[in-house]
Amino acid sequence: MPDFETTSFGRISYQPEWAIEFPSGLPGFEGRRRFAAVNFEESAPLVFLQSLEDPALCFITLPILVVDPRYRLDVSGEDLGQIGLAPGRQPRIGTDVLCLTVISIRESGPTANLLAPIVVNLRNLKAVQAVAPESQYSLQHVLLPEEVPVCS
Amino acid sequence: MSRRAGETILIGDDIEIVITHIGRSRVKVGIRAPRETLVIAREVKLVRDENLAAAVATPPAALSSLVARLQPARTPGSGLQSRCQHDQ
Repeated sequence: MPDFETTSFGRISYQPEWAIEFPSGLPGFEGRRRFAAVNFEESAPLVFLQSLEDPALCFITLPILVVDPRYRLDVSGEDLGQIGLAPGRQPRIGTDVLCLTVISIRESGPTANLLAPIVVNLRNLKAVQAVAPESQYSLQHVLLPEEVPVCS
Repeated sequence: MSRRAGETILIGDDIEIVITHIGRSRVKVGIRAPRETLVIAREVKLVRDENLAAAVATPPAALSSLVARLQPARTPGSGLQSRCQHDQ
């Protein structure tokens, strides 16, 4: 099993057949194609998307349905084609694809990028960050507002 | 400014935009610009900036507090590295 030195987690081992491949990288990281999805029991349900080419590049993500259980995918035909899915039908989250939302930790609190979810074809592990131009979803969806009223 | 398919707009001396096709709800444009000029859809630029912000190393304290709020029933673990498969 190959291993890889990472800034966040030290040395990790991974199975090469589980590496996720972004054929076009991600916006801002077009040259970064191979990632490993890393998770730990202590930090569940977070999924760390660790670059296998840049030790320092690691995105914090969440399964999108954790953030919005009714999230509806709207992936363009072009993006579906990139990851080997037929255009014309939206893939089902959990069955056809793994869908992750990238988390940004801001001073005001964490936000989730629901506008551009990461969509991974579960059959071939090819992935794309699907930017939906006409989507109503937020680029900075506020996660967990600080004060949540609790009924007792 | 109003343009028909096939007509061109110039921006400064070295940027050229050609309206190549006008569909019912979409317009296809060709853009000629210097190599160093970033040509990108607005929403891709926004996602790009968001990704660059998200990829900045997160302070462990912020991460622990996020985890604590995502799994309120459990004690937040601080040793994220402990479950890593370390090579022997």
